[in-house]
Amino acid sequence: MAARSSGEPNDIARRLLDGEIAAGARAIRWLDDRDPRCATLLSAIYAHTGKAQIVGVTGPPGAGKSTLTDMLVSEWRGRGKRVAVIAVDPSSPFTGGAILGDRVRMARHSVDPGVFIRSLGTRGQAGGLSRSTHDAALVFDAMGYDIVVVETVGVGQDEIDVVNLAHTTIIVAVPGLGDEIQAVKAGIMEAGDIFVVNKADRDGYDATHRQMELILHLRASALPPDAPAVPLLRAVAAKGEGAAEIVDAIATHRVQLGEAGEFARQNSRRAREQVLALVRDGLLSRMIGMAADTVFEAVDTRQIDPHAAAARLLDTLAVRKVAA
Amino acid sequence: MNRPSGPIVSEGEDISREAQRWERETRGPALEGRTERRERFETQALKWPIKPLYTPADLDAAGFDYAADVGYPGEYPYTRSTRPNGHRTDFWTMTQVTGFGKGEDWSKRARYMLDQGLSGLILEYDLATTNGYDSDDPIVEGEVGRAGMALDSLEDLENAFDLPFDKLKYLMSVCNAPQPVNLAMIIAALERKGIDPADFVLHIVNGILIEYTCVGRYIYPPEHGLRIATDCIEYIIRNHPNWAPISIISAQLQPAKANPVQEIAFSLAIACAHIDAVLERGLDIDTVAPYINHFVVNVDMDFFEGVCKLRAFRKCWARLMKERYGATRPEALRIRMMTSPTTIALTLQQPLNNIARLGIMATACALGGAGEAMTTPLYDEAHALPAENAIRVGAAIQHIVAHETGVAETIDPLAGSYYVETLTKQMEDAAFTELDKIFAMGGAVKAIDTGYFQRALGREQYERNKDLEEGRRKWVGVNHLAKADEKREIEIFRLDDAMEEEQVQKVRALRARRDQAAVDSALEKVRQAARDGANMVPPCLEAVKTYATHGEICNAMRDVFGVHSADSQLMGI
Amino acid sequence: MATSYQRPLRVLLAKLGMDTHTVGVTIIGHALREAGMEVIFTGLKQTPEMVCSAAIQEDVDVVGISTLSAGHTRSLPKLARLLREAGAEDKLLVAGGVIPEEDKPVLEAAGVDRIFTMGSDTRDIVAYLNAWWKEQQSEEAA
Repeated sequence: MAARSSGEPNDIARRLLDGEIAAGARAIRWLDDRDPRCATLLSAIYAHTGKAQIVGVTGPPGAGKSTLTDMLVSEWRGRGKRVAVIAVDPSSPFTGGAILGDRVRMARHSVDPGVFIRSLGTRGQAGGLSRSTHDAALVFDAMGYDIVVVETVGVGQDEIDVVNLAHTTIIVAVPGLGDEIQAVKAGIMEAGDIFVVNKADRDGYDATHRQMELILHLRASALPPDAPAVPLLRAVAAKGEGAAEIVDAIATHRVQLGEAGEFARQNSRRAREQVLALVRDGLLSRMIGMAADTVFEAVDTRQIDPHAAAARLLDTLAVRKVAA
Repeated sequence: MNRPSGPIVSEGEDISREAQRWERETRGPALEGRTERRERFETQALKWPIKPLYTPADLDAAGFDYAADVGYPGEYPYTRSTRPNGHRTDFWTMTQVTGFGKGEDWSKRARYMLDQGLSGLILEYDLATTNGYDSDDPIVEGEVGRAGMALDSLEDLENAFDLPFDKLKYLMSVCNAPQPVNLAMIIAALERKGIDPADFVLHIVNGILIEYTCVGRYIYPPEHGLRIATDCIEYIIRNHPNWAPISIISAQLQPAKANPVQEIAFSLAIACAHIDAVLERGLDIDTVAPYINHFVVNVDMDFFEGVCKLRAFRKCWARLMKERYGATRPEALRIRMMTSPTTIALTLQQPLNNIARLGIMATACALGGAGEAMTTPLYDEAHALPAENAIRVGAAIQHIVAHETGVAETIDPLAGSYYVETLTKQMEDAAFTELDKIFAMGGAVKAIDTGYFQRALGREQYERNKDLEEGRRKWVGVNHLAKADEKREIEIFRLDDAMEEEQVQKVRALRARRDQAAVDSALEKVRQAARDGANMVPPCLEAVKTYATHGEICNAMRDVFGVHSADSQLMGI
Repeated sequence: MATSYQRPLRVLLAKLGMDTHTVGVTIIGHALREAGMEVIFTGLKQTPEMVCSAAIQEDVDVVGISTLSAGHTRSLPKLARLLREAGAEDKLLVAGGVIPEEDKPVLEAAGVDRIFTMGSDTRDIVAYLNAWWKEQQSEEAA
């Protein structure tokens, strides 16, 4: 019987660059599992990335994000775009397990070859995304998907990593969920690129719309007058209403980013952040491998303080590098 | 000891001290060197701790007041009974599950039952129909006519209604998501047969909110589901006031493992969602509540949870109608319940044991007040023994409880029991706390939208299953006194390919010979009414008469309302 | 908590056909999560095509189908065939729910790897999946 996640990285890379779904899925699996083969894989595909527009979709539970994403996917498909969706849900901090149920609401696209839906658990990462989300987006980018949607729950101020990951972040609100959620934390309101009030046929829509208008107005007043207006749109995703306007706004935002050089800048910033994050991870794992235990013990017995301990570990690392 | 006249629990404080003395001096020493058989004594579903002893001091602590909490039969708050004479004039109506509608020809079976002297029938439909599809839709392959009748068009119902209607007094129809289409078909079929709708009671279950909560047969998004349910209720109140437009089957929450407090709170919240929606149409509470007060409530094996749940249900409904809506008519304040032993307590293994279980649960129903009617399920789901015997046993159980035990000779005999009154009051309080929470989040539809009901039930399902697997719950025949080599299976009803094919051909032939222009025009009117917010029953009535099919009319509404996609929240995450 | 990186098992759970009883998948989904697995729930009213496509996209290790309908004798073999045709026969295919004894040999011959009838202890299911997973990983290492 074939092994669980078999495959040779260059072969998988070649096949996914060709658009093969199973290969793309396997690649994401390796990245998610931090399989050693992912290094070779990434280097084989990296040159082919940098084109896709990453669209973040976030908002409180009950806002209908998945239904909205489902609707947008239909609209994009109608315009001939190939779309990938990464749906991220929290993993249990105790068991590491997760129930990933977002694709349920996108079931009608599950047999469309131009749509790829992938569910990921946060796997211990804070901020609402998994460590592998960015890499998964790169895989889809390399496979030639025009749009990569990243869908995540963003209730607290902590779950806004999607804002950094995406070129275009859509904040989804819904009437009547209560002021404390509508006031949606300052971070989100400042960072969102497009705002959508979903379930707009509900009671309370007008009040919610007004509230958001006000907040966006305040935000705009802090910016130069010629800065492009932040779209505030309405949708009734269950009926497919609002899709065209939202997709148009996303396309417009893409153009705006391109014209301002922002698209490339964001890609660059993201890549840099990823490199730094990987370096951080790498440093830590090297140190743990380096009998850091003795240093920790010294802290425990209060022979040295934490800062001194860190300095010691860093020095050791530097010494090793020099010696090498 | 002084006995001042006054409330029953005036000696509470003294008793409390005495109870502590008893604990110290009598019970404590008796426990020396021994352990109790359970680490923690708790009720089956609610997991509330059960003390060794309940006394008037507990009633005191619960703030119990006889007049306010218990009262008198047939009087607010109806805790003791909604009937002034309990069951001393008439027993509850005794009904029977007959294992019927499983792909057999419905009308053949219906005729047989009417001939046997039954006067009530239930119309159950296949999964194609209850999900709003025609028999030839590829998505329902394998389901046509399997779980019940295939109802594609008025023609099917006209054929099914070839019945002696003079014997039929009561017809119940279970078709929740497409309710206005179904209602229209029944009305049209009765018209075609020349039956006077005033001559019998049609009771539509109209239970869409429970479908969203845990059963799963829905079509449209919840706000539209509620709207068309309200259309049916309003239509019946205005046009067929002797009919019943809803049945809130709280019992359906049980397979989803709702505990008694959730059963009461969720189903009352659902009732309120319907009441609120109908009130918005210009009717008043004293008119509306008597139409919405139909509940089906089961008891499980925990005897006292069952008894207390029924008592608490009566009281909670009455309080809710009075306090939230200001209802004044007794018909509005009195709940109507059909009660039943629950099937989820029955085991596949050692089926004869289930007869004992049914007897116990039927007794709990009777002691809790039985309601308008009691149903006894079959003791053996697998039907290894002839169904006739199972039916006979079910009927006998009720007669034994009624005639041999004496529990129905006086009204609400368990009232005053320190444990029963404490537990009843605790359930009532907890139910209102939960209800307040649901109202605060915007009511039942909001609770469904945000997945609140589903998550709560999903947790219960997981926890209860763990209790069973880890031995905290003992279930005779399953994990206690189980027979090692016993192998039994639930009988499933097989597909009948020939029957499905026949039905498919029938509906296609119908489409070929009808006036398509008339159908198209009628369907457009359905869409328009959906858009306009008009009552959906009249345009559905017109459409069914053109022989537009069940699926076509449901689709016309799908075009306007959209669809509610399969819900990850049903998994209770 | 996963320390040295162990790949969590990815399990797809779905219901084929019109039956909407979800207590079984709910209990199993929770149990698998508690056991540290990632559960991808694709939902109700699925067709074999939808499940196969999802299984490939999610690169799951296990496909779990819950059925209380009588259609399983058609839909399960079809799903097994689709998975084979997609090159995914190495994924474990398990079924649970109401499946009569007499159907088991037919289903197993058609490619269903294991059947857990209703009432199966979730601990047995978890143990079975873990044992299978361990075997796969040691094969891989070899």
